Amino acid sequence: MQKYISQHNLNTLLDKLIAAGTRVVAPRMNTGTPLYEPLTSSSEMITDQLPRRSAKEAFFPVCEDIMTYEKEGQKVSVSDIDPARFPETVLVGVRPCDAAAIPVLDAVFSWDYKDEFFLERRRKTTIVGLACTTADDACFCSAVGLSPAETKGSDLFLTPLEGGGYACETFSEKGETLIANHPELFSEPNNAPPLPLAQPQTEKFDLKRVKAWLDEHFEDPSWDSIATRCVGCGACAFVCPACHCFDIVDEGTEKAGTRRKNWDACGFWKFTHHASGHNPRDQQPKRYRNRIMHKFKYYDDKFGQTLCSGCGRCIRVCPVGIDIAAIVDEIGKK
Amino acid sequence: MCDNTNKNIYLPYLATVAEIIDETPDVRTLKLVFQDEQVRESFAFRAGQFGEYSAFGAGESTFCIASSPTRKGFIECCFRSVGRVTEELRRLEVGDTMGVRGPYGNSFPIEEFYGKNLVFVAGGIALPPLRTLIWNCLDLRDKFGDITIVYGARTESDLVYKRELQEWQERADVRLVKTVDPGGNGPEWDGRVGFVPTILEEAAPSAENTIALVCGPPVMIKFTLPVLEKLGFSDEQVYTTLENRMKCGLGKCGRCNVGNVYVCKDGPVFTAKQVKAMPVEF
Repeated sequence: MQKYISQHNLNTLLDKLIAAGTRVVAPRMNTGTPLYEPLTSSSEMITDQLPRRSAKEAFFPVCEDIMTYEKEGQKVSVSDIDPARFPETVLVGVRPCDAAAIPVLDAVFSWDYKDEFFLERRRKTTIVGLACTTADDACFCSAVGLSPAETKGSDLFLTPLEGGGYACETFSEKGETLIANHPELFSEPNNAPPLPLAQPQTEKFDLKRVKAWLDEHFEDPSWDSIATRCVGCGACAFVCPACHCFDIVDEGTEKAGTRRKNWDACGFWKFTHHASGHNPRDQQPKRYRNRIMHKFKYYDDKFGQTLCSGCGRCIRVCPVGIDIAAIVDEIGKK
Repeated sequence: MCDNTNKNIYLPYLATVAEIIDETPDVRTLKLVFQDEQVRESFAFRAGQFGEYSAFGAGESTFCIASSPTRKGFIECCFRSVGRVTEELRRLEVGDTMGVRGPYGNSFPIEEFYGKNLVFVAGGIALPPLRTLIWNCLDLRDKFGDITIVYGARTESDLVYKRELQEWQERADVRLVKTVDPGGNGPEWDGRVGFVPTILEEAAPSAENTIALVCGPPVMIKFTLPVLEKLGFSDEQVYTTLENRMKCGLGKCGRCNVGNVYVCKDGPVFTAKQVKAMPVEF
């Protein structure tokens, strides 16, 4: 379905949703940092800055309760978390790189055992993507086969138009429902041309060649030169739209507490550290190798997908200037 | 069951500590009985599978299910106290409650071993993952040929399941070769003295129609595999279990992988052929 919506009507739509009790999550400024966060008013939404962290946390929060426990004498009782508490959500203004990573994560959270914490939020969330008009030096979505106009992952996709407003295109029933519930705010598509989209400058990777090299080079001297300087801070994983490794920890007292799923990162030395003291990834290059392997080989081996959408955040935040785009580009040319 | 019908895959069953057995000064066995009667009856597992055991307030830890699936109504786990969770599990007393998720992972293809001789080779704290299978096989004794168990530890006191070693030693249908590392033997030691691979070589079990099941510290595995090869075992005849740090046990949390192999889902049981095809990341 194709429609048009003016900026004014988009704001009205968001305010109506908020007023009706829907959680509306969009990029907004939080003490100087753009983040995907719940809005209290449409006026908070910003569209000109890439949020510092990705949109994955709408489905996979940094920290989330997975059960609670209470102890009394020798008895313990545990309480489940009611998935009904996850609110109906509309996620708006999602960058194509962020939206495209979400269905990629469906694979790991739904294969074999189903992680209802992720999946229930997915069912309850409508994703409204927004074509990207701002790219910087770190952006490389086009290198991994996506683009600033990529609609993958979006239920409804907005393209900003010359003269204001957005062209709307639906890609799922959820997207159509959003329009159908507010028909007065949408009109027939007009002929205005789209605003110029972002132009990421990176050349397209040959992902097949990248994988073919990774298939054969678990052991290779270049891993040392690639990652010796990695300090293992884990920032790359925390800002990544596709990284999904987590820890499970108990937090509480002797009497009662909560079991939580917290984001984790393969860059941390303790991630694979055995209680015995043995560590299969005992040096930082081995940990960084796992990061590259997981994204461009293992996830492909298992689910046929690449675990990177080229948002460039890891490049922007790396304190020692590690550039995954340059690394993968080089691997593809070996 | 922690399966697809469970809404929250991270929710453990509650189990009561029914018995505590100190295997060594720092290795303990807990016998656990599920508190929910339905779970007690329906909990089914295969030898080789593992669980996530929780001490509430400290977290979860991964161990194999050390008891045999042929022994119903309870499960056992066996662990060394080396970290936060295991220290806390060690504080539990009989009657206390802990959590169990599982069973997870693949298992020993025991049906494929019917009619064959079995050689178990274990070192130190790595007997539990084989002990589940040993008892499983002994409880179905007539389905197998000769059963040989080569088990060693650093010292006499480091041997686990001492009472069962005694039982195996006395059985006519089991050949037990127990050993301790040089210097690890006391005055009354009635076993062998030497490292497991050496003792295995001396014991020289025939490879013909035989499956070898090996579990031990990496250094023991490293020196045992060539001995088995020398004795004529092919890599398809040799099984082992791998361990890596785990959190979810469900193929999601992302840390137990060896290359693209997830120990929690693709393992923990592998043939030597499979292990040799993996990058050295365990």
